Amino acid sequence: MKKIINKPMDVVGEALCGMELAHPELLYTPGYEVISRKEKADKVAVISGGGAGHEPAHAGYVGKGMLDAAVSGNVFSSPSPDRIGDAINRMNSGKGVLLIIKNYSGDIMNFGLASDLAEAEDIQVESVVVKDDVAVPDSTYSTGRRGIAGTVFVHKIAGAKAELGGNLKEVKAAAEKAVANIRSMGMAMSPCVLPAVGKPGFVLEDNEVEIGMGIHGEPGVERTQVKTAKETAEILLEKILEDYDYTGSEVAVLVNGLGGTPLMELYILNMEVQKLLEEKNIRTYKTLVGNYMTALDMTGCSLTLMKLDDELKELLDAPCDTPALKIR
Amino acid sequence: MGFELTGKDYADYIKKAYELIHENGDYVTELDLATGDGDHWSNINMGFEKLVEKSEELGQLPISEEFKEIGKTMMAVIGGSSGVLYGSAYLAAAKAVKGRETLDCQGVCDSLEAMLEAIMSRGQAKEGFKTMIDSLAPAVVAYKKGISDGISELEICEVVKQAAADGAENTKNMEAVKGRATYQANKGLGHLDPGAVTMSYQIGTLMNCIKEKINF
Repeated sequence: MKKIINKPMDVVGEALCGMELAHPELLYTPGYEVISRKEKADKVAVISGGGAGHEPAHAGYVGKGMLDAAVSGNVFSSPSPDRIGDAINRMNSGKGVLLIIKNYSGDIMNFGLASDLAEAEDIQVESVVVKDDVAVPDSTYSTGRRGIAGTVFVHKIAGAKAELGGNLKEVKAAAEKAVANIRSMGMAMSPCVLPAVGKPGFVLEDNEVEIGMGIHGEPGVERTQVKTAKETAEILLEKILEDYDYTGSEVAVLVNGLGGTPLMELYILNMEVQKLLEEKNIRTYKTLVGNYMTALDMTGCSLTLMKLDDELKELLDAPCDTPALKIR
Repeated sequence: MGFELTGKDYADYIKKAYELIHENGDYVTELDLATGDGDHWSNINMGFEKLVEKSEELGQLPISEEFKEIGKTMMAVIGGSSGVLYGSAYLAAAKAVKGRETLDCQGVCDSLEAMLEAIMSRGQAKEGFKTMIDSLAPAVVAYKKGISDGISELEICEVVKQAAADGAENTKNMEAVKGRATYQANKGLGHLDPGAVTMSYQIGTLMNCIKEKINF
């Protein structure tokens, strides 16, 4: 394992500490591993969180126009209810709190318990669960679809709605509309190494890629030979369109890197994605390319589409100022 | 007169459980890497390490208070699914034996049963889902049967320990319904569930500690 760390046990706190030092407008609360805005805003608070290792998610999306606070767990592991509770208490202005949760059993349980505890204290809390990964069958029986890079769009939409003065019900409705219109599909080329484990969680041969792999290295749908950027774009888009027909609609596109893939490659992928979208009569309204939801040092990418209507366009365009996303 | 498990005994048990979990780090991580993301051991190990650090203070508490402290610590330190599940389990056990200084044979059984119910309800899971429940549930059944059959406390310890170990072993033939292993194409079939294995370590160690107490 080659990593710029001190002790594996300290990675989460030290990363957040370094983030606070780089962004003085943010506040880091050690112990609870919460990054929050310094000033509590008089509006619905939008809070997210999850395991560490997906940087800049989620702390990188804290700031005006997006999240009020982000709660971090250990690497790839949900934060505990007391940490989530700290963020809720810290940011609740009395107008209620929306929790944006990625669909993993640990996150569902911990955010669920935190939400129950906050409600017991008479804090209004609502939740939305992001499940955009089409690699996993949707199922009401098991945990079902994972939440991956599409979560960034949900942060943007909900954050904008709250910043514009929406009440809790309206902010939740906007977030749910985003969730309903977002689909993602990923691909990995090499595994990630958890600092506390020290070795890769799985092996991909030199000429192999895994289509549909999750952002914690969970297995995807198939292993196949390395593809060209064009073929990769085709595979990812096809899987998305099998699940949700975006034909004829206007979309926001996110070409996301998993942490270990150069931006150059992401831009090449974007070029191919845009060509395909045009062929399929899907109009791109806005594109993001970069490392928005990573899996430590994993190489690979994901593609996310969000279908837009007038409201979602307005919310997507609304200004935001966070370490990882700025829209002016 | 049967055994009476004190707060100090339970703190000693925690130390021994920690040793066993700690020793088996590579093995449990291998199991987890086969079906999950490989962090189960490091998280649960971190939780027990913290409990051992606090064991002096934990050992002085009445057992019901001790359970409450263990629950809060595990929830905060372990995080993830295991943290909230173990946390909920210990808080439920604390409630089940509220006000008790020590635990007799029935008290240990009641605690384990309360833990099982809490884990099932918080995790929305049942036996057969390839989780820690598959070790704990058969252990509770064996414990209750042992008491109603009137076998000796020593024998109870043996059957409970065995049931927990067998239960963990049986997860090899199960398909996961909850958690990360569900994303595997074969739902983790053919692999032991690491959460069930670490659960069986804890139950086995607890039963060994009680046996020593009886034999002392």
